[in-house]
Amino acid sequence: MPIYAPTLPPAPDLTQGHPPVLVLMRFDLARLWRQKIGRFFGFAFLLVLIVKLAVIYVKYLLDTNVALRPMQDFARTVLAHGADFQADLLNPTSYLLWFLVALVGGGLVARDTLYRVRPLMYAHPVAPKDYLIAKLGFASALPFAVLLPFVLLPWAMSLGVAGIHGPVWPTAPLRLLPALVLISVLMGALAVGASSMAATPRAGVGWVLGLVLGLSALAGMVHGLTGIRAVDALNPILLAESWPQLFVGVDHPLMGWAPALLGTAFHIGLWTFVAAKRTLPSEAVI
Amino acid sequence: MISLDRASLRYGPILGLSPTTFELPDGGGITGLLGPNGAGKSSLLQLISGLLPPSGGDVKVFGEAPFRNPAVLARLGLVPEGDRLPTGLRADRWLRMMGELSGLSGEPLKASMARALAIVGMADRAYLTFARMSKGMRQRIRLAQALLHEPQLLILDEPFNGLDPEARLTLMDLLRRLAEGGVRVLVSSHILGEVAQLTDRILLLFRGRLLAEGSVGEIRQLLDRHPVELRLTGEPQELARWAVEQPELAALRMEEGAIVVSVRSPRDILPRLQRAAAGGQLPLRALDPLDLNLDAVFQYLTKDHA
Repeated sequence: MPIYAPTLPPAPDLTQGHPPVLVLMRFDLARLWRQKIGRFFGFAFLLVLIVKLAVIYVKYLLDTNVALRPMQDFARTVLAHGADFQADLLNPTSYLLWFLVALVGGGLVARDTLYRVRPLMYAHPVAPKDYLIAKLGFASALPFAVLLPFVLLPWAMSLGVAGIHGPVWPTAPLRLLPALVLISVLMGALAVGASSMAATPRAGVGWVLGLVLGLSALAGMVHGLTGIRAVDALNPILLAESWPQLFVGVDHPLMGWAPALLGTAFHIGLWTFVAAKRTLPSEAVI
Repeated sequence: MISLDRASLRYGPILGLSPTTFELPDGGGITGLLGPNGAGKSSLLQLISGLLPPSGGDVKVFGEAPFRNPAVLARLGLVPEGDRLPTGLRADRWLRMMGELSGLSGEPLKASMARALAIVGMADRAYLTFARMSKGMRQRIRLAQALLHEPQLLILDEPFNGLDPEARLTLMDLLRRLAEGGVRVLVSSHILGEVAQLTDRILLLFRGRLLAEGSVGEIRQLLDRHPVELRLTGEPQELARWAVEQPELAALRMEEGAIVVSVRSPRDILPRLQRAAAGGQLPLRALDPLDLNLDAVFQYLTKDHA
């Protein structure tokens, strides 16, 4: 292969590109797309979504079809209703979602560490905060994108088949979307923080799962030993499940507003801090 | 183009680079950054490429501090040390992201990619994944990413590590052509031969200190404590008789068919030697300087410093 002598054309215009945050997020999205792990999770979540939609239709039939009246009492004991039913829309197999976040988010920073990509990025006009925002943004956008249909589709279907008196409240998205944002940021921050401590993507997955399950076990043990419910705020799984309950106002949420707020702020702050420290240029030495 | 004014770098309690002062002028050319492992080469490159701020002193690249300065970073290209690239990733996709991070997009990005790949001779193989590339090919792709935005300053950290001789020569040829095209190339290496083949202009680092700056010849002249060794091939006794009369002589060693003399101020003695040989007074058949190469300079300087 011949080596061509370099020429000196006019310097290219370097001002027309996209912001680095968007470039990095798009690159991670393309990489995730090529990994094809979305097929399994897409199928699993689609199945759960179909079941949720079917339940809404069944509830609608139970409320409107006279022939099904005798089954109403039985259905009330089996199916959640009222605020519990609204909150349950955002808890589609919580562990499966955490597993997806661990699989994808665990490698987000660790892969760049393994392949020493960060020094190269920082040698371009990319600030560490751009990198951090991109990783946090992508890791948070993933659970948000997975859960968004669980808010909007049941709501739209309920409105479509039964109007404002359907099983899903007309105001449900207004209550569930803020919860969804909090859950997504919590999951994203924890995944990126854990990934930043790992040297390989596999180790990153291990870190995320270890932190999620380890903190859950720890909080459960301390709760069991002391009887103090507030320590459940350490448990990221319970935190994620609490927010929809708090926003829709269920009678007996898993934890109160104060522990949930403190716990979520603690996790987001701590893991963002860890990720910021671990992705500084000094950590990305040549 | 690059100026350091007592710039130093600390890693906590460890001094990675002692206060260092030097300047590299504008325009093309190759400068070798030479030193053994742990000499501070990578620390210096991190300061220049804006990855770290200096712990003390000033670093200026294109007249500005490079740390987190997009205006400077847009004008320099970095090829870090190492051969770790995402194995399953296609080179062109990786290049596209790096180009976009430099601020390129659309047609200008495509044109820049085509140009950079042509320069490194990888235009028809960029669709391959890194796992299917040889080490030399991956190094060329790494170089291509640094050339995408047409930098004026190209920084390469140990670029020849692990390359076979052919790939090494190809890369050297490529760097020379880039330098001739107006790019200032800064190459670090701990292998003297590589730098000696590539350039005469060096920065010599040892234990975090800049020991010397300039051409090998210039630096050699500074080493007054180490006389230059010359091998004079011819009739040894006649040559020795002439040599001992010279005031610059520091030492003399007889060999079979030759003598080795150590002389101070070779600039003074060499014209006299030339005249004597040309006039037939001296049976000189060959003259070989033994320690005017980079290896010798490096040995002397590091030995003195230690």
